[in-house]
Amino acid sequence: MTSFNPVFVYIALILYASASVCYFAGSKNRGVVRTAFVLSTAGFVFNLLALVNRAILTGRLPLANGCEFLLSFTWITVLMYLIYETRSKKKSAGGAVMLIATLLLLSVETLMSGQLDDVSPLLPALKSPWLTVHVLTAAAAYSGFTLAAGLALVQLRSTGLLPGEDMIYRIVAIAFAMLSLSIVLGAVWAEQAWGSYWSWDPKETWALITWIIYALYLHLHRQNGWKGKKASIMVIAGFVLVLFTFFGVNYLLSGLHSYALNPAMQTWSAQTS
Amino acid sequence: MASVEKIYRLISSMKTGLVLLGLIGLMSAIGTGFRPNTFFQTSLFKLMLLLLFLNMGLCTLNQLIRCMKRSSKSWGKNRLRQAGLLLLHGGVVLILVGGTVNSYFGHSGELRIVEGNKVDVARVIPTEKPVLLRLDAFKIEFNADGSPSQYYSHVSILEGNKAKGNYRISVNHPLNYGGIKAYQQSFGYLVKVRGESATGEKVEKSLHEGEFLEIPGTERTVKVYKYIPNFAPNYGMDSKTLRPDNPRIVFSVYENGKLLGVGAAPWGKRIKIDNRIYVTFKGVQPFTVLKVKSDPGLPLAAAGGVMLVTGVCLAQCLAPVGKRGKQSASSERKLEPVGGIMDGLQ
Repeated sequence: MTSFNPVFVYIALILYASASVCYFAGSKNRGVVRTAFVLSTAGFVFNLLALVNRAILTGRLPLANGCEFLLSFTWITVLMYLIYETRSKKKSAGGAVMLIATLLLLSVETLMSGQLDDVSPLLPALKSPWLTVHVLTAAAAYSGFTLAAGLALVQLRSTGLLPGEDMIYRIVAIAFAMLSLSIVLGAVWAEQAWGSYWSWDPKETWALITWIIYALYLHLHRQNGWKGKKASIMVIAGFVLVLFTFFGVNYLLSGLHSYALNPAMQTWSAQTS
Repeated sequence: MASVEKIYRLISSMKTGLVLLGLIGLMSAIGTGFRPNTFFQTSLFKLMLLLLFLNMGLCTLNQLIRCMKRSSKSWGKNRLRQAGLLLLHGGVVLILVGGTVNSYFGHSGELRIVEGNKVDVARVIPTEKPVLLRLDAFKIEFNADGSPSQYYSHVSILEGNKAKGNYRISVNHPLNYGGIKAYQQSFGYLVKVRGESATGEKVEKSLHEGEFLEIPGTERTVKVYKYIPNFAPNYGMDSKTLRPDNPRIVFSVYENGKLLGVGAAPWGKRIKIDNRIYVTFKGVQPFTVLKVKSDPGLPLAAAGGVMLVTGVCLAQCLAPVGKRGKQSASSERKLEPVGGIMDGLQ
């Protein structure tokens, strides 16, 4: 395999979008919802094929640049959702989660399609075993927060007692543990690569802000009984921060993590004067 | 006495902790947008971190005392979770202490060492006896496409006149010598240039980019503008790759401050800049830029990081929510007597 086949991403995108439409449209029709699950699973397989294609092309795990992260992030999100739906038998969040998955893959195509074919070798700073664990835990955390936000959106539309509240709490709690792990692993790596485990780099700062909002949610939910709409809004706000930490920081604020957007950018560079 | 207790309760309450966390988050968002380079060093931000340290330190201490009083009870899932919460909060406190120790007692700075030269680390970090770093060689390893694969500084450590060993520093692989750490941060080149005057007098220098060579017997000076390791016309002043496949020196000639012309010269070519006045670019001499630091707070911060990760995994993954899901929201508190670390302080 000498080039990337973009068809995998296109098909996954169409399948996720179709699944989302089916989930939204067929909330009272079992057959349509079952079709939505099949479409989601098929999209998940094509998403995996895109990741395998990238892995074969580059000879490493697809976790080094922005598009690879988004493909992994989307794939883990859908994996989590499929496990959730299979175990809980609840399908109401499918429309929202698959819509987010669609938008994430759409952003791969619109914002960073050039990276799909990019086979540039890794920068020296990225040649570290910490890359895999740091990025993988970040992707898992982001995926957990996405699923929680999807469930929270459903909660916002519901009235009366909200039975999914504890599930959202549980998912956020595990994703929060993953985010903590990712931040600490990133700090260990930064200490080795840059000589400073914390530099108040925009990506670090926004990851910390995301960590803080979910820490507040976990405390307020357990200790102060923040339930219902307030809690759901907070989970969705946290997800908006997650998106900003990825897209906003990469596109609006430059820093030490800038190679996530552009792998060719040499943040560690030659003196010019 | 009552007021002291009130202040203590205020400082150590969960509400205060949450407000502080929220404020720190808000201030960080604003700071990173408007003053990313200076905001996090301001007294106001440091005060917020100090207050958070006090709040979380006292909370953790209070809860630790509570836990120790109840230590006779068996270790169940809830006890493990509570231990996790203690570790998590204690970890954050230790990270804050580690950062504070580093900001007061740590040292950090850059050392620029030209190949073959040595530099005293004491320029950046106070040492009991002189510790010298000598750059034996600087090498760049390249990928097949000409992009850099790794940067290596081969250094020797000398204490007095005694060689203490040879080390290789590269990106992601710093040197750690007796609490002194050196990181591969950057590199550059000095350009070796020779001038010949009309009388045959020769002057040889190694110049940084931007420096001038003055040659006796002429008003004209030569400025070393830029070293391009792999010159290609369609790349302009940028190098096609860092690999020296087609090296050129971009130079300019001035007379009394007035620019007379520019050129791009290969190594070894004798260039006439005036009547019987010549200049020859002979090659480059690499230098490395190392970030050198000592951080006495690092072990504390590292321990804090381990505690935080262990604690958060124990606390969040053992959260007994599955059973609670089947209960009504109003009955949750009765069914879940052991909550967060700050339960007793509300």
